Amino acid sequence: MDYLLAVLLPQLLHGLVFGAALGLLALGLTVIFGLLGVMNFAHGELFMLGAYAGITVIGATGSFWLALLAAPLIVGVVGAVTEVATLRPIYHREPLYGLILTFGLALVFREGVRQIWGGDMRRILPPFPGSTPLLGMTYPNYRLFLLAASAVVLLAIWLFFTRTRAGIIVRAAVQDAEMLDGLGVNVRRVFTLTFAGSGALAALAGLLLAPVFTVYPQMGVEMILLAFIVVILGGMGSLGGSVVAAFIIGVAQSLFSLWMNPQRVAIAIFGIMIVVLIVRPRGLFGREGVLE
Amino acid sequence: MSKVVTWRSAVVFAALAALPLLPGVPRYYLLLAFDALLFGAIAMSLDLLMGYTGLVSFGHAAFYGLGAYATAVLLERGVLSVWASVAFALIVVGLYALVVSYFATARRGIYFALLTLIFAEVVYTFFRYTQTFGGSDGIQGLPDATLFPGVAIDTPARKYYLVFVYLLLAWLVCRVVVASHFGRVLVAIRENEDRARFLGYNVQRYKMGACMISALLTGVGGAIYPMRSAFATPDLLVWTESGEFIISVMIGGLGTLVGPIIGGAFFTILRDKVSSVVDWYFIVIGVVLIVIVLFMPRGLLGLRRLFRGRPWRPAA
Repeated sequence: MDYLLAVLLPQLLHGLVFGAALGLLALGLTVIFGLLGVMNFAHGELFMLGAYAGITVIGATGSFWLALLAAPLIVGVVGAVTEVATLRPIYHREPLYGLILTFGLALVFREGVRQIWGGDMRRILPPFPGSTPLLGMTYPNYRLFLLAASAVVLLAIWLFFTRTRAGIIVRAAVQDAEMLDGLGVNVRRVFTLTFAGSGALAALAGLLLAPVFTVYPQMGVEMILLAFIVVILGGMGSLGGSVVAAFIIGVAQSLFSLWMNPQRVAIAIFGIMIVVLIVRPRGLFGREGVLE
Repeated sequence: MSKVVTWRSAVVFAALAALPLLPGVPRYYLLLAFDALLFGAIAMSLDLLMGYTGLVSFGHAAFYGLGAYATAVLLERGVLSVWASVAFALIVVGLYALVVSYFATARRGIYFALLTLIFAEVVYTFFRYTQTFGGSDGIQGLPDATLFPGVAIDTPARKYYLVFVYLLLAWLVCRVVVASHFGRVLVAIRENEDRARFLGYNVQRYKMGACMISALLTGVGGAIYPMRSAFATPDLLVWTESGEFIISVMIGGLGTLVGPIIGGAFFTILRDKVSSVVDWYFIVIGVVLIVIVLFMPRGLLGLRRLFRGRPWRPAA
């Protein structure tokens, strides 16, 4: 019982917290994939940019909350500009070119950040310290906030996609962009705004996780592989799937790390992924034959 | 001359062979030429898979790094023969590539890329985080390899000839493969996999074959690397290294074999020259990559069109 309360439960919560943030990252990735057919290698860099933009806003204003508002906006604009300038001209080409283009973008972003903010590790202090007694254990307040905030954002995204006209247009574009174009919707604008939105979500995840993890230019590269894994496990292009898969991977990672050292955890996650790709490449909720 | 070797390529290789004979080529430039040709040869091996079979491997760093570690382990233990290193690398890389290609070739497109990537990450994680092969430091301070007992590969010129011979042999292998019936089936698979299957070809076996040839050529390239650098580190295995191979193929021109050699050499020299001037050379490389994707998708080789006014032909 003590083991349950003192070890298992906190670790489970850690997993949920991490899974929720991972879900924000993977959602953007999977929408972009479904919509544009691009596996966005620069997505991790937008995640990182969010954390750095947050550091700057906090440095200038001293307010974490303002940063939480400003960072996604800044990164959203960066995303929109990037989409218009580089991705728009190559949609009609093979997916390979998108992969390589975003790889180049990732290099530019990562090195640019290292030049502007320096390469060393940074930390953001949690906006509220302390911890709360919870079910017989104590749990850091900020992590509870992180879990609640991610859940609210995920719920808002779900409402956006099911209840608003804009969300339904994006889903329709994922299904058949050409048809939507024929119906008179400005598909180019949908693409740009969606890319900006997915960048803003990544930035939000980056800033929310910053007080828990450390901020450094390579942080995006290390997250992006995990986000790819989540997207595949959930099923390419499936929104609900990537959220479910993010929680699975988050919880699995934190539970595995109770019994294994981190590199074994990484290998175990890769192992799960290899099995999924071989046995059921469309993932948990993906449609059969997407880009297969 | 023949279908495989043209006069022009013979002249180019003769010129490359004569490079160290020029009086006053500094040591530094010979070693840079080594890196350029090695990177070029590996990009060419990858082109066999990317350009001809239509499979993008994001895991070539694993073949490369495993080859390098095979040599490093032998050199560290006093086995200095080049032949032993190459043979050992072929065995190690071959076994690993057999597993990867068996599972990865069952899938196509983005799934193939991700499977190769994840398999490679497992290898990287193992070498980086266990102390068996030196952890993050890798294996350092290796002695020079010997071609025959008493003939050590210890001068830059000898090292250059080592990579030159490797490039020449790898190029011949690729040319023979591309010109063969096997190579034509690969192109058919790239163009339309289902049609190739309906014609009665065992598509997966052909894809595996292409994968194995590409992996083994890359592994031999990896085996040569520590003979010049005297180390093997996990950095050779990271997936961004695979990304750099892909970049080289794209810079040179997909599906041309010669293009990726030029692309790999261009990339190596660009990185070396820019990084000696500014420390933000990754921005330059990233921008070069973006410009190439946007404005010259056929790579440097595609520029030939400008001079000849003749439409560019895809690989056949």
